[in-house]
Amino acid sequence: MGVSCVYMYPVPEGRSGAHVVEVLQKQVETIGGVKMGSFVVDCESYLSIMLSVSKTLQILHNTEYPASCFAVLDSGATLVADTLFNGLLSHLKAYYQARKGSKIESKGNRYQLADFVIKIGSVTLSGSFKGILVEVEYCPSVIASECWNLMKELLQSLIGNIAESPPPSLKMKMDEIYTPAMTMLQYLEHFNNFRKAAAVSQPPR
Amino acid sequence: METTSLAPSLKNIAPQQEYLLQASILDANRDVLLHRLRGLCDNAESNFETFADYEAVYVLSFLESSAVQQSQAVSFRVRHALDDPEAPDHIRYIGQAELGDRARPTLVRACLDVACSSNVREFLQEMGFKLDYDCVMKGYFFHKGRMKVTVYKIFRLLQPGKTDSSNWEPLSMSHLVELSVVAPLGQEQIGEDMKNFAEQLKPLVVLEKFDHRRLHN
Repeated sequence: MGVSCVYMYPVPEGRSGAHVVEVLQKQVETIGGVKMGSFVVDCESYLSIMLSVSKTLQILHNTEYPASCFAVLDSGATLVADTLFNGLLSHLKAYYQARKGSKIESKGNRYQLADFVIKIGSVTLSGSFKGILVEVEYCPSVIASECWNLMKELLQSLIGNIAESPPPSLKMKMDEIYTPAMTMLQYLEHFNNFRKAAAVSQPPR
Repeated sequence: METTSLAPSLKNIAPQQEYLLQASILDANRDVLLHRLRGLCDNAESNFETFADYEAVYVLSFLESSAVQQSQAVSFRVRHALDDPEAPDHIRYIGQAELGDRARPTLVRACLDVACSSNVREFLQEMGFKLDYDCVMKGYFFHKGRMKVTVYKIFRLLQPGKTDSSNWEPLSMSHLVELSVVAPLGQEQIGEDMKNFAEQLKPLVVLEKFDHRRLHN
């Protein structure tokens, strides 16, 4: 486990997502990345009902941490628990219910390149393609400020100037010890952006 | 509950149930019971295994509560080992006792244990849970096969949340004795094994099944 940065990679107009993913994958293989399996990060929203203040609970999973479940509230408070936490949620049905069509995931190939792990994921929201997320992890360090320059170099050779500065949610925590929950918060931020974009382009009937 | 395509083997764990028998013993007679248990249980040659847990119970319920809604209130017991600060915190959900068969030798109820990070108390409160009560449980732990025996004393906290021992007040002059097994659904044989084990502790303690709902009446 090390420091991870997650970026959205835009799909140029007129190109298909699958094609752009393929180009990125080729690029990773060219610089020496070796495919090591696949990965999924998923997220589902639960809405509070009947409580005085409406609350949203986001439940995330990551194949990199297969025995864990990450629960995030609106304030950003993150609980890391066993995957059995899902079982607890089923007992809370009267208070928190899964929002229909909120399930979003980033899925794709996982590459190893020396000390780096690179993941190129296609994001799908209830089955339809929404965009691309690129994650780069530098395994030997747990302090972001100490390895950011190294990561930036690799990131820029892959996705260019999008990786000019560290991801916004990481910026405040550059000197803290990095935890897997920080990776999940980055994914959640991107997932929320994709959801908002989807809601704007398809107004509810 | 199927939520993702992730690690299905970890997600679809069969529902667990707790089989439980309870009793109490006066403080003065505790040591006799401990020695008896040491002789009966595994690891007889090693010293007594002790534990000291802080337990806080959080309840989620509707604001304007009718009787029907009140019965839907969900409570989570959050535990934290005071003698092992490195150990993760723990959420335990315990269902209502199953009515079922009167001839069943033990109480049977749904049970779910989830280890979690230490910010769980703040997290639950932010979710809307309210602190119901808290206490400290300190005592001894034995196991025989998959049966678990605990002999412990319950302490009330004079100030909620403060867990240093100057803040503890014993709730009674007795220790609570519990014999429990957590197992997947439908293993009725366990109840018989537990009953046989309980027989061997008589007449020191008489382990029985208690219906906690009746205690409120």
